[in-house]
Amino acid sequence: MMKYSHPIHLKELSVRRLSWAFLPMMWFCLPIVAQEQVSLSSSPDAMTSTSLIGIGTTRILDTYITPEQFSGTGFSYLNIRERVKDNRRWNTITEHELDLSSTDDRSGNITMLEGSYNLYWGYYRKWNLLADRLHLQTGGVLNACLGFLYDMTASNNPAQARAAVNFMPSAITTYDLTLWQQRFVIRYELNLPLMGMMFSPNYGQSYYEIFSLGNYDHNIVPTTCVCAPNIRQQITLDWQASKRWTVRVGYLGNYQQTAVNNLKQHVYTHRLLIGVVRRLVR
Amino acid sequence: MIPLSFLICLLPPCIVGCIDDEQYPDSPQGNFEALWKIIDEHYCFFDYKQHEYGLDWLEVYNKYNVRAREGVNKQQLFEIFTDMLAELRDGHVNLYSAFDNGRYWRWHEDYPTNFSDTLLRRYLGTDYRIAGALRYRILDDNIGYVYYNSFSSGIGESNLDEVFKYLAFCNGLILDIRGNGGGALTNAEKLAARFCQEKTLVGYIQHKTGKRHNEFSPMEPQYIEPSSRLRWHKGVALLTNREVFSAANDFVKIMKCFPQVKIVGDRTGGGSGLPFTNTLPNGWTVRFSACPTYDRDKQQIEFGIAPDYAVGLSNEDFIRGKDSIIEFARELLVE
Repeated sequence: MMKYSHPIHLKELSVRRLSWAFLPMMWFCLPIVAQEQVSLSSSPDAMTSTSLIGIGTTRILDTYITPEQFSGTGFSYLNIRERVKDNRRWNTITEHELDLSSTDDRSGNITMLEGSYNLYWGYYRKWNLLADRLHLQTGGVLNACLGFLYDMTASNNPAQARAAVNFMPSAITTYDLTLWQQRFVIRYELNLPLMGMMFSPNYGQSYYEIFSLGNYDHNIVPTTCVCAPNIRQQITLDWQASKRWTVRVGYLGNYQQTAVNNLKQHVYTHRLLIGVVRRLVR
Repeated sequence: MIPLSFLICLLPPCIVGCIDDEQYPDSPQGNFEALWKIIDEHYCFFDYKQHEYGLDWLEVYNKYNVRAREGVNKQQLFEIFTDMLAELRDGHVNLYSAFDNGRYWRWHEDYPTNFSDTLLRRYLGTDYRIAGALRYRILDDNIGYVYYNSFSSGIGESNLDEVFKYLAFCNGLILDIRGNGGGALTNAEKLAARFCQEKTLVGYIQHKTGKRHNEFSPMEPQYIEPSSRLRWHKGVALLTNREVFSAANDFVKIMKCFPQVKIVGDRTGGGSGLPFTNTLPNGWTVRFSACPTYDRDKQQIEFGIAPDYAVGLSNEDFIRGKDSIIEFARELLVE
């Protein structure tokens, strides 16, 4: 028998406060994106390509399908491409994240499958501090998400489609250190919610009504950090094995959640990552 | 200097709240609360059924809450839940466990079936044709006969082309859907489009927009457009009984809009709500009506559609090996 678990309610007040805090940052970032695009595409000096695989837990709630929560194991593939320009303050990072999970409810009778693809395209300004050992980057990330949830046992409304675009303020810090004559890099990346758009059926609306009859009812929903407080963070440790190759281990946490059309959804993924970073010099 | 925007981004993620929902404990009381709440927030016929027979869902809570206590075993709990759900008098409301399916089938079990497999075999014989889920033949008086027993079984456009090509020279068509308990609405619409001569308003649909019993979207019209392939223009007798339910009930709703179609037999079983499913803490699945549909006059068809000609199977005809409803339909089409 399961113990009663208390609900955690949305901290709307804190979220509103946070959204106001990000508005000046948006204003700060966006004009500079336009200014720097030309110089970036003209002569990139180097690119790093990182491929990581991850395994870990997934927790799912989707009240369109059922009020029950699901948990289980998931796998991720993460590819990060970072364009670095020497002596430049700006760089771009593109990340492709693929997730697949199989989860069960607490009774073990119901299985829910989850799959998603997330594209993150980020543009960052860089600061080098502490004798070039500490690097700080801040900017904005455009995220596009496509995915699905599928209840293996439901005969009606078994699936939920997920589609969203988000703009997320982002920060990255990297710290170079040398231990036992080996070079290591600690990297932390944080993406926070600000605004976006997402697809959602209305509270009791069937997919038959949306797609067969073509009836629209608030199915494209503007989102903010209040109703879609998505957070994503990565912390990794790199060990430079050679000039070209680096081994990376770390953690990826992607906490996607929405409350729109009187429906609640969250997909929390926690992944332990391992992979390699390859430096591509041009 | 460390930029301000960087410091803002380093605010801990816990500042942003979690979106979560109330989880009831996996106990008899917890499962009862979860089930009652799922129906309370999602079921779509509360107001209509309160008007029809005085359904009061809060009263139902008080009546069954005292029975779902610690100490009841899972079979007893299942029985309590099934009894509670039966108060909704809805064939789309089911409770599924590993050991039983809870159901309310009085919408057809309390009435004569008006259908006989034995008689069907007499009419179809052994040399009938099969196209997808359709069984069909030409009867002696040059009336086409098509039997479709479930909209869960698919039909392709080429199946329909072949059927209507074969029956093209018949004087009329008997479309027998007795015993058809529903299935995919798309199959029903695909078949109905073969009898449609112009874009026709056939009904309305709406859905819940919130948890309260009366929170609904506006009624959206449902249209059927004529099929661009072979269509049937002659008379049609659509045979129905009390087992015609859900998508089959919707099919009758659509066919009733076409002037060359007459409904013959018994009242349909109803089931006009599109069903959804949810699960309980103990892993049982509950199905319920979530989106109401209406006929073209915005009237409820949850409790069935009356035929144009009410005809039942008579014992005398049965003994003579005759299906009274088919025989009536044959006469009607000849006239």
